[in-house]
Amino acid sequence: MSNTNALSAGGGTARRSRPRPGIGKSISVALLVLGAIGMVAPFLWMFTTSLRDASHAYDLPPQWLPTEWDWTNYTDAVSGPVPILRNMLNSAVIAIAVSIGMIVTAPMAGYAFAKLDFPGRNSIFVALLSSLMVPAQVTIIPLFLLMRAFGLLDNPLSLILPGVTGALGVFLLRQFFLGLPQEIIDAARMDGATAWQTYRLIALPLAKNAVSTLGVITFLGSWNAYFAPSIFLNSTDTATLPLGLVLMLGPYGAGNVAQVMAATTIAIAPALIVFLVAQRWIIASLTQSAVKG
Amino acid sequence: MTLTAPTTELPPAPPQGRGGRPGQLTATRRREALTGYLFTAPTIIGFLVFVLGPLVAAIYLSLTKYNILTAPKFVGIENYVRMFRDERLATTYGNTVLYVGAAVVLINGFALLFAVLINQRLPRALTYVFRSAYFFPYLVALVYVSIIWQALFQKDTGILNYYITALGGERIDWLNSSEFSKVSVIIVDTWRNVGFAMLIFVAALQEVPKDMVEAARMDGANEWQIFRRITVPMISQATFFNITITIIGAFQIYESIIVLTRGGPGDASRSVVMYIAEVAFNKFDMGYASAIAVTLFLIIMLVTLVQFRLRKSWVNNE
Repeated sequence: MSNTNALSAGGGTARRSRPRPGIGKSISVALLVLGAIGMVAPFLWMFTTSLRDASHAYDLPPQWLPTEWDWTNYTDAVSGPVPILRNMLNSAVIAIAVSIGMIVTAPMAGYAFAKLDFPGRNSIFVALLSSLMVPAQVTIIPLFLLMRAFGLLDNPLSLILPGVTGALGVFLLRQFFLGLPQEIIDAARMDGATAWQTYRLIALPLAKNAVSTLGVITFLGSWNAYFAPSIFLNSTDTATLPLGLVLMLGPYGAGNVAQVMAATTIAIAPALIVFLVAQRWIIASLTQSAVKG
Repeated sequence: MTLTAPTTELPPAPPQGRGGRPGQLTATRRREALTGYLFTAPTIIGFLVFVLGPLVAAIYLSLTKYNILTAPKFVGIENYVRMFRDERLATTYGNTVLYVGAAVVLINGFALLFAVLINQRLPRALTYVFRSAYFFPYLVALVYVSIIWQALFQKDTGILNYYITALGGERIDWLNSSEFSKVSVIIVDTWRNVGFAMLIFVAALQEVPKDMVEAARMDGANEWQIFRRITVPMISQATFFNITITIIGAFQIYESIIVLTRGGPGDASRSVVMYIAEVAFNKFDMGYASAIAVTLFLIIMLVTLVQFRLRKSWVNNE
């Protein structure tokens, strides 16, 4: 693949760029362009194919830009045997419920761990953080048995309940509240505000960006989830969108590729919207915890 | 563990206060402690019910024989002994380790390369476009990108083979040959995750002090020496974080394989998580599946603990 060449050529650039910085820079821009094309091309192909007549979906040489704007595949995809719209609604309900739960519980806990003093605070926080190293695959069997015992299999609650709290959100929000000057909190308390009022009226509004980022990350994580849904949900009516799309694709990619690409384009839309609207916040909050500290 | 104990204790009375009567202060502190517990209660309950409880249950189940229909029967370490004779487990773990190795090298290698290139003085708009292009796949579900890629990988109709044959190469059976099925999984994994690792590297590169680099350049160091002696040590934290994240992620690789190859041909591309899911939810051998899952947990815990230790205590870093 071209990427392998890019790697070796890149090493060369780093060594040679000093005497001829102009050439070095053009080489690196060329490499970056090549890489960027590699990242974007599959999505472009997806979109173009979704607009082509199914019988031409596999025409070679491939066309990269849509030549016609035929939305038939989209209407066919949503009216096919797999209830894609229903699946999308299921995904949306779960993702919204989980996000709302998370942006209520995580900031409260994060605030408590950062600004309130209570015995056991640090050990509880460490225990909570340690749940970050428990892979979902280990807890999935007991969770499956738990959901089965409560009759929640094939029910969106099996995905919502475990999703409304989580250590990552608490960690992110704790980091934010640690940076909040204690004087602000103290001043509010002096003025007679209760702990709840101080949190709700003073601290939380200041955390608006961090909370929004958490909400967006949580929403996307849930919207994109496959592992747990594939185990807890087992009918086409309760399936989430990723499950629906895999069903639609069929074993060994036998499904109608143009329709599958139309459905995939729809499925990717939320990520694209998030990306266009909130890219900066997400990048900032995802990278800061890795680099600092 | 120290998890539940504190909730039942009342906070110790402070030895002295910052003013006011001691009794009043204690009451204030008690109230604050109570608020603390109330604020953290939902998270703690969620942690106990959906993480800690299931983890303990998984460890217990791993010591039993359990098929869902009859009660679990305690069998000691039998499941763990059984793993050593399980050839399918050896194959799937072998594949998984290959995915992990490939992820560590390829994701971080490309990510660092692109990060260094992007971190040069380029026009802002260009930097933005590159960043966006590389990062976008990371936001899209692995299932969705795998669905796109499996179409690109098709032997007769896929565009990858079209370009390969156009350049004079042979058609590759990307999805159904035992070697290339693994390669396809690795390509998709690298392609999707490189952008995130790159952003971490870019963030770290921006923290490298410019005057230090300038000083080195004044002293006659060439770009490679600067990179090797200044940049690499300065971004070691980010490198370590990225390696940890890629190891953990690759050990859990699952849905891309389901979409691309279904684990096949045979078990050629099957990951250990796919095998766990199969043993647990197709064969209902819950005890054995739990035992395999526990080994996965131990590996991930080890990797994470190493990361925790090598990084200066991020918990108390206030």
